[in-house]
Amino acid sequence: MPLSEPMLTARDVHRHFEGMHAVDGVSIEIEPGRITGLIGPNGAGKSTFMAVLAGTLPASSGTIVFRGEDITRLPAHQRARRGLVRTFQLPSEFAQLTVLENLLVAAPDNRGESLLGALLGKRYWVADENRLVAQARGLLKRFGLLAKESDYAGMLSGGQKRLVEIMRALMLRPRLLLLDEPMSGVHPSIVSEIAGYLETLRDEGLTILMVEHELHMVDRLCDPVIVMAQGKVIGQGGMAMLRKQPEIVEAYLVG
Amino acid sequence: MSLLIAAFGFGLVSMSVIALAAVGFTMQFGITNMINLAYYLNKAGISIWIAMLGGAAFGAVFSFLINRFVYAPFQRKGTALLGMVIVSLAISLMISNAMLPIVGYFSVSYRERFSHLLHVGALALTVNQIAIIVLAMGVMLAVHGLLRYTRLGKAMRATAANPTLARNCGIPTQRVIDVVWLITGGLCGLAGVVAALDSDSFMIASGAGFLITALAAAVLGGAGQPYGAMIGAVVIGLVTELSAAVWAPDYKQVVAFGILVLVMVLRPQGLLAKRGALAAAG
Amino acid sequence: MNTYYAANLLIFAGVDIIACLALNLQFGVSGVVNFSFIIFQAAGAYAAAILSMPPDTAPDYSFQIYVGGYQLPFPIPWIGGAVAGALLALPVGVVVLRRLRADYQAIALLVTSIIANTVINNARPLLNGAAGVALVPQPLQDQFNTNANSYQYLYIALTAICVALVWFVAARIVNSPYGRTLRAMRDNEIAATALGKNPTALKMTIFTVGGAIAGLSGAILVGFLTVWAPSTWLYPETIILFAAVIVGGRGNNLGAILGALLVPVGFEEVTRLLGRMNVGPPNLIPALEWVCIGLFILGFLWFRPKGVLPEPRHVFAGGPIEEDTRWIEGTRAS
Ligand SMILES: Nc1ncnc2c1ncn2[C@@H]1O[C@H](COP(=O)(O)OP(=O)(O)O)[C@@H](O)[C@H]1O
Ligand SMILES: [Mg+2]
Repeated sequence: MPLSEPMLTARDVHRHFEGMHAVDGVSIEIEPGRITGLIGPNGAGKSTFMAVLAGTLPASSGTIVFRGEDITRLPAHQRARRGLVRTFQLPSEFAQLTVLENLLVAAPDNRGESLLGALLGKRYWVADENRLVAQARGLLKRFGLLAKESDYAGMLSGGQKRLVEIMRALMLRPRLLLLDEPMSGVHPSIVSEIAGYLETLRDEGLTILMVEHELHMVDRLCDPVIVMAQGKVIGQGGMAMLRKQPEIVEAYLVG
Repeated sequence: MSLLIAAFGFGLVSMSVIALAAVGFTMQFGITNMINLAYYLNKAGISIWIAMLGGAAFGAVFSFLINRFVYAPFQRKGTALLGMVIVSLAISLMISNAMLPIVGYFSVSYRERFSHLLHVGALALTVNQIAIIVLAMGVMLAVHGLLRYTRLGKAMRATAANPTLARNCGIPTQRVIDVVWLITGGLCGLAGVVAALDSDSFMIASGAGFLITALAAAVLGGAGQPYGAMIGAVVIGLVTELSAAVWAPDYKQVVAFGILVLVMVLRPQGLLAKRGALAAAG
Repeated sequence: MNTYYAANLLIFAGVDIIACLALNLQFGVSGVVNFSFIIFQAAGAYAAAILSMPPDTAPDYSFQIYVGGYQLPFPIPWIGGAVAGALLALPVGVVVLRRLRADYQAIALLVTSIIANTVINNARPLLNGAAGVALVPQPLQDQFNTNANSYQYLYIALTAICVALVWFVAARIVNSPYGRTLRAMRDNEIAATALGKNPTALKMTIFTVGGAIAGLSGAILVGFLTVWAPSTWLYPETIILFAAVIVGGRGNNLGAILGALLVPVGFEEVTRLLGRMNVGPPNLIPALEWVCIGLFILGFLWFRPKGVLPEPRHVFAGGPIEEDTRWIEGTRAS
């Protein structure tokens, strides 16, 4: 695939909740290899839009094309298997699984994950399992959580939960990562650390679309940036350029 | 033909009873977002002993107390929706059995007292059946008025739509929810008395079947939707009684269940959709 | 203590253990609140009965009406019971588990249970209605004297084999990646979906497996009791099993076994003892029993929601660490 082709294209995407237009005709393109920011006031429809892209909410109308394939009708789990993986605004770790298990669950290629595979016994799937444990531990080491691998994910701090969610998504080898406020609920001292990880992932070639409230984080990480208000895109481009447009500043600050 | 007309008459009565129960149930669910399986108990057994107002008052207080002392504490503790379903089932089982030794399997009939027939056109209904229909219509109008025109009704609708937002807007959601439990419990108590009026006998054991019928009406209309529940009650009431006439009375609940299954398969969000039965995704 | 009493106790314990292991797979491991569990046991019992009985035209059986009657030898009726439970799980699962919200699923299953009982109770030509089926042949009864002590031991052994088999299946599931995915779905269904898991498919598989095991438990029960009627599978029976799993420890197979011994078996025994002592009016004891079960559920959910034996933590042995974690698709270094 040539680099100029967008990773994802959304065309005139709508999502209503009984008459409420949460997402009201959004069309965007996401360039590969960048962190695209999605900002806007509370209730602008950012989370709803992310959910529609990932398929956890169906779109009311519109078209979503991912890597050249129309995925509008595809259920969420199949989109994830194609490399379109999202995280959530609220922490959504598997609380009663350990950190390592949280990562292992996400791996798509384990022979023991089917009922039949499970009944055939450990000998049938142990090779897959060992390979994935090694990979998951590699990620844990890289993100500095190796010592926590046997802790229940529900007992982690806010920032650690966010990291678990990101690592979990990486276990799927995503092509496009949708992050919904990955820094919210995170202790300020760790925010910069998470930002560093995201920069590294981008430099390795991962495409990211992230909703973020802290503008200085958006400045540091995101280019381009898409601004939403009341379900619509009201501007996009570099942060410096957006800052110069009074109607956008107003919508963001007032809305 | 006259059989069908008679069935239609019974349908009117049934729909009235069901509407009382289903509207209460669905308001409870819509506003507190909780399925209360102990609901049907509010009326069971006790209502037989007391007159209609007594039944309603008892239902109201009882429902309020269950919420205050069981449901609300569990919710505060962070028990998930599913846990709450289990809690309410446990409560319903406990109470119905705790009541058995007290009330026993007695059944009471109010029937003889006013059983002379009145003829309305081709319909023949007893006085108390007509009283039921009038009462149910009155209550439905009252519910409508409450929701539409009173401050309390507005607060209830706001709480149903978005409890956090409602609280932030200064609505005392806790008090609203308390009132909802009172009102819906009262409706249920009333439905119990009315059901006892209508049938030859009424006992604790009839609770479960009654729950199904009320539930079918509530789900048919779209859970959490009082008006939907009214429509659901009309449909379920008429269809079950007509089916009883042309098929067999033993299968009334089965027919209600059939409708429930159809709705779940074809239109899980109910006739008047809101964010009801469908899986939330966010 | 005579042999019959001991056999009775052990076989009921075995059946309850099997049922609790199945319910634990569905409710404890996967978060599927199967309030209609008991109808799967019933399906297995009826299927085993029909497969082993002669047609209802046979001389001794003409006082009942039922469909079929195939006189098939053991173990076909028991296998048939398991198959019946699994087959019943398919339509119920397709209707209930696909699109409904989780708490609605629970209610829909409860309603299904009540209705199934109503239908079988009223539709006499199907399975002899409220009276139920009787004179169900016992396994291997033409080779053994079913009144002899040795037959009781044989039945205990057959039940024990089934317990072992079900334990084997449950353990393999719980300790596998498949079981891990089920637990993840239980903890957060939407997150699991966003990671590529298909919750409907996962629920359907575990619903079917649980249905099959429940069916087997029913087959064992009917072979021992020789009778089966709607009054034996009213929906509160399911609640007892839920109480057992909650008390024993959700998600823990050993907990399910402990729960089975504490709640259904324990209550059965206590009631029997109290019944013998003639305390209070006849209906009082069973009614109080239900109140106690409700209190058990509420008490455990409040004070010890993880149960007596909480779900074990799955810890992994040390091993190599893959250092190259730059394996975003298409950018892998090597
Ligand atoms: N499940 C839902 N049902 C009804 N309304 C919803 C639902 N989810 C979101 N909304 C509404 O859609 C609008 C957009 O919400 P959201 O996408 O969460 O905004 P953001 O993430 O930009 O803050 C809000 O007004 C919100 O109340
Ligand atoms: Mg948001």
